[in-house]
Amino acid sequence: MSSLNDLAELVISGNYNGAKELTQRLIDNGTEPLEIINQGLMAGMNVVGVRFKAGDMFVPEVMMSAKAMSTGIELVKPLIADRDMPSAGTVLIGTVKGDLHDIGKKLVVMMMESAGFKVIDLGVDISPEAFVEAVKEHKPQAIGMSALLTTTMLSMRDTIEALEEEGLRDSVKIVIGGAPISQSFAEEIGADGYAPDAAAATDLCKKLIA
Amino acid sequence: MKKIRSNSIEQTTPLLRWVSEGQIEEIHFATLEVLERTGVKVDHPEALQLLKDAGCIVNENRVRIPSWLVEECIRLAPSKIVVANRKGNRVMPLEKNRTYFGTGSDLPYTIDLETGKRRRSTKNDVELACRVMDYLPNYDFVMSYAIASDTSSKVSDLHQLEAMVSNTIKPMIVTAHDEINMRAQLEMAALVVGGKEELRKNPFLILYSEPISPLVHTNDGVGKMFASFEYGVPVVYTPGILSGATTPVTKAGTIVLMNAEALAGVVMAQLKQKGAPIIIGGGATPMDMRTTATLYGSPETMMNYAIMTQLSQFYGIPNFTEAGCVNSPVPDAQAGMEAGNGILMAQLMGANLVHDVGYLEGGKTGSLTFLTMCNDFMDNARYMGRGTRIDEETMAVDVIDEVGPGGNYVSHEHTFKHFREEVWTPKQFNRSFWEIWEEQGSKSMEDNAEELAKEIVANHTSEPLNETIRQGLNEIIAETDKAKATSRRKK
Repeated sequence: MSSLNDLAELVISGNYNGAKELTQRLIDNGTEPLEIINQGLMAGMNVVGVRFKAGDMFVPEVMMSAKAMSTGIELVKPLIADRDMPSAGTVLIGTVKGDLHDIGKKLVVMMMESAGFKVIDLGVDISPEAFVEAVKEHKPQAIGMSALLTTTMLSMRDTIEALEEEGLRDSVKIVIGGAPISQSFAEEIGADGYAPDAAAATDLCKKLIA
Repeated sequence: MKKIRSNSIEQTTPLLRWVSEGQIEEIHFATLEVLERTGVKVDHPEALQLLKDAGCIVNENRVRIPSWLVEECIRLAPSKIVVANRKGNRVMPLEKNRTYFGTGSDLPYTIDLETGKRRRSTKNDVELACRVMDYLPNYDFVMSYAIASDTSSKVSDLHQLEAMVSNTIKPMIVTAHDEINMRAQLEMAALVVGGKEELRKNPFLILYSEPISPLVHTNDGVGKMFASFEYGVPVVYTPGILSGATTPVTKAGTIVLMNAEALAGVVMAQLKQKGAPIIIGGGATPMDMRTTATLYGSPETMMNYAIMTQLSQFYGIPNFTEAGCVNSPVPDAQAGMEAGNGILMAQLMGANLVHDVGYLEGGKTGSLTFLTMCNDFMDNARYMGRGTRIDEETMAVDVIDEVGPGGNYVSHEHTFKHFREEVWTPKQFNRSFWEIWEEQGSKSMEDNAEELAKEIVANHTSEPLNETIRQGLNEIIAETDKAKATSRRKK
């Protein structure tokens, strides 16, 4: 049990080499793979989430913790049947058509992954049709759309309309973000929510999917 | 093997100079002319005799000082004065280009941290301010901050010293009503560190004394200075002036006059005791021509301090300036600009003792909130003062190649390794996005500072003095108080 706590600590401190070694050791000792994930790797990441929100941890530290967690998960994953893998849900994410801005969306991807979501990152300049196709293929619980430009943010509305036309709108929650976006814009175009930063986006998805 | 680069010069910190070396010499020669032609008034008998014996032309108490003597005394004055903390650690070497921040002394009013109301300052305000500064890392030294106006006015300066040594271990600069009280304070200081010899070895306090502009050296001002030298305690001997009222309105004229007053102090100090630790400079504040207010937070003062700092570096004598004292009556945007400008300038110029940080209303009103806020301003200035690191590791060519076009740096180890040094993180500034800021209570920086100040006051105490010393201090205060009451009756 104490080594599961140690594993959580290694994740918190972003020590990915240590996390990798200890995960392997726990596997070799016959520790239950799901326990390694839930009480070790994810437990550490949960602490990271809380500390980041309180301003006690910084983005690069969270990234290192996420890396430590995922190196551990890589080792444990083959031992668990796909349907047993714990997941907070599947989120499809992309920067909308005409917009090539990437880094804000990437931050959201990394934050969500570190919170246990399976994230499918479609990339940048994603048209409404491409979003529709991806929803059909991956069947996510939520879609995240990003835009940095006031000229491209309107494409979010087109995407929502395209999903409505295909009868897919009710199967997913839609969250949007980016510098020009606001809560009132989200309401105006019929999105389910808006988040001002990556941590808030993660919290919002947890809330909407739960 | 590491590849070296020939003919390489590194500039690790920014280099700020306000005027040329030639202009500094011009100010120096003008100052010598004032001392030789106009001279100064000296009301201290011993000083007058010393000046006469050294070759000055003395008519009654008017003293004309020859240039050679001024230059000789500049050479005698130490270029390095080490100040210790209360525990004898030599934490504050006053050397060229080393900058230390602290507050000032004797504010008559305080904005109460609990009620938010402005009222007369008390001894408790001195205690609280010292505790706050003991905690905040960017305060290097303390002054009394407030006046202990609820104590016997004859010895309120002694009460202030007692409050200071009881609530911080940091080095301190003290003020004294007169020579008698200065000697009492020196006895108190000796008691705190375990004797006069210890005090002389590692002085933890500096006396602030002043000439009166224009060109007057008073019996008390010089007497306090001489008494401190007897105990090996350094002295800041600097005028506080009003450009356009007690000095010429021009910046250069202000500087020449203040420099003449400071150098006359250097001469008296070195004649009293070769190598006496004297610190020059002063408060070079213009008078506001609309309101007559003393302008502390103004651009002129910062420009004057820049040149005065260069002068002190030219002489090789440590200096004393001021920053973070603002004319705004409240810690608002104006206060931020006034304080930020001065603090940054002082840091980049390399001024030595930078006092008055955290003062409102032109040095009349104190606020622990503003005092706390200024810790972030000083942190910001020091961050910039550390300069930009340029080398293989920070130019990061390998990392740029590794990440490539379209990648990102946020999850790269290079970012993790360097972000703490490369991105300044304030404690009290607001940097959240609007919605998050709202969620956290829509607090202004002033609210953040007030919260932090309250937290410090509630939780931080400095290393306490032992009971015997405390008793001893109170005895000295009581004796001085009594002696002064008696001498007054005799008059």
